[in-house]
Amino acid sequence: MVCFAIVIYLFIKGIGAIDWAFLTQDPQPSLREELSGGILAPMVGTILLTAVGIIVAFPWALATATYLAEYAEDNFFFGALRLGIDVLAGVPTIVYAIFGLAIFSLPELAFFSSMVEGVAEGKAFGRSFLVSGITMAVMVLPFVIKSCEEAIKAVPQTFREAAFALGVSKWRTISRVILPAARPGIITGTILGIGRIAGDTAIVWLCLGGSMNLTGPQPWWYPQNWGATLQNAGSTLTTFIYYSSPAGEGNSPNKAFGAGLVLIIIILILNTLVDYIGSIGKLKEE
Amino acid sequence: MNHLDSVPVKEEEVKVIVNPKVFLVSRQSVKEFLIEKGLFLFTILSSILIFFVFIFVAKEAWPVLKANGLAFVYTGGWDQDFYRAWVATAKEPSWRFGALPLISGTIFTTLGALCFTVPLGLGCAIFLVEVCPPWFFKPVESTVRLLSAIPSVIYGLVGLLVVVPWIDRHLVTNEMALRMAKVAALDGTSLLAGILVLGMMIVPIFVALAADALRVVPKVYKEGSLALGVSHWRTIIKIMLPGAKKGIIAGAILATGRAIGEAIALSMVSGSVANIPNPGHGLVFFLEPLRTLASTVVDNAEGMGVPTCESALFACGAFLLVSCVILSFFARWVARTQKQGGS
Repeated sequence: MVCFAIVIYLFIKGIGAIDWAFLTQDPQPSLREELSGGILAPMVGTILLTAVGIIVAFPWALATATYLAEYAEDNFFFGALRLGIDVLAGVPTIVYAIFGLAIFSLPELAFFSSMVEGVAEGKAFGRSFLVSGITMAVMVLPFVIKSCEEAIKAVPQTFREAAFALGVSKWRTISRVILPAARPGIITGTILGIGRIAGDTAIVWLCLGGSMNLTGPQPWWYPQNWGATLQNAGSTLTTFIYYSSPAGEGNSPNKAFGAGLVLIIIILILNTLVDYIGSIGKLKEE
Repeated sequence: MNHLDSVPVKEEEVKVIVNPKVFLVSRQSVKEFLIEKGLFLFTILSSILIFFVFIFVAKEAWPVLKANGLAFVYTGGWDQDFYRAWVATAKEPSWRFGALPLISGTIFTTLGALCFTVPLGLGCAIFLVEVCPPWFFKPVESTVRLLSAIPSVIYGLVGLLVVVPWIDRHLVTNEMALRMAKVAALDGTSLLAGILVLGMMIVPIFVALAADALRVVPKVYKEGSLALGVSHWRTIIKIMLPGAKKGIIAGAILATGRAIGEAIALSMVSGSVANIPNPGHGLVFFLEPLRTLASTVVDNAEGMGVPTCESALFACGAFLLVSCVILSFFARWVARTQKQGGS
């Protein structure tokens, strides 16, 4: 199990970089490692982006999954749709990234980001939290649809029969019986989707812009600035790692290790949540 | 609910019971109808979106593919082409692009990583399922699951700060670097680093799926074989592995898909030079830098504003998309043939 060494190595390297200042300062543009600040803005970015992505993706995916599992007939159209979902669940995120950037650079969609000034024909900047959040949503949509559909289909047929036998209508059966019964599976799928969003780099790199700090009006935590922050660029932990490593321009590997450790801890917490929900589901069945 | 589950229900009975229309009154049925159509709308939206992704990528990629034809696949010189297109004026854009280095880079890294992953991963999976003592099993399994969830940029970081310097220090000699100076700078970022990092990344996915496949091989097979006096290892190789073939191939396909699409980690460790490693150079072949389709999109993303560059990047995306479609169909085909074979 050589792979295990990676986690240990990262832990040893990363733990030294993490202290209170590292977690609460914004990144500073500096080539000297000790002056390059902390990871507050990337952490906020990760949370914001994940929230936007999952808020867009979750209701949509759940509705589609419910329809596919409960209403859809077995015809050619839905067969093609299922195939499309299958294929798209495996498509590299970088494809979504250029897709999102190209779509949201259209001037008609500029309200998601901002207009580029000084260009005659007009072109949207195409990089913002909203843009990348929506692109993320499109990226995880097939994945979440698939896992929600499987969860709904795994609800025993007897539940439906019992509800119908009591004279309950179909939608009431779905909303009161089937969805609650499928909840652990749905939550697991959603958390895995969140993990994918938090861990993705390609979409962030292309659709969120290359700046390390939040570029909206400061300070970003004032309520009147929230909307503008969403329309502006920023960074997440993943791009911070990329940027701070020697491959980017920051050249502060220890900071990158620190951010990597924080990211792994986030992923670990999500994984534990999945395990926990899975075990609750099992207990209930028994 | 357990005792309810165990009551056998005949098919015909189910159909009689599951006919909700009998119970509907009219106001409710309007609401039901609206909800069903609402959900249907979402489904239609998703399907439009899904097909839109395909169509949009194809449409954007078309100009470059049309201008170059098959030459896009078999000519090289991506970096020069890209620079020419980047500096070209809007009136006379440069449409010539040759993606051979990128395609070969993708194939080399993916195949290399697979050669590295499949034996290692299979060994790991067999160890987990057959040899591993129970107390050791749980922590190892959760580590494997955690590793398959780690973002690729972290693998890239470790690769860049550990693997690349190691290769630079121990494998690249000065004489070698001098000899190769005309082709590319040898600084550790190389095919080998790409293969190692990519392999590390896809091993956990493969192990997880292969272990699952081995675990669902019916116990009777193994017991029957052991009862006939076949040794444990022979049973594993002759009975367990063929029985789990389907799941193992599915795992390999999934791992391949991830390897093909990996962008960030490879752009960090494999050198980001559109160079075709030449097998004629002997073992130096593994130390030459290269670049894959996916990492090209990341590295050249600044070209998105220029129509020619944008189209070329979408052509790379289209290649990735097509390879994913092929892999997906292949996976379905494997699942189907095995089912008919009645394994």
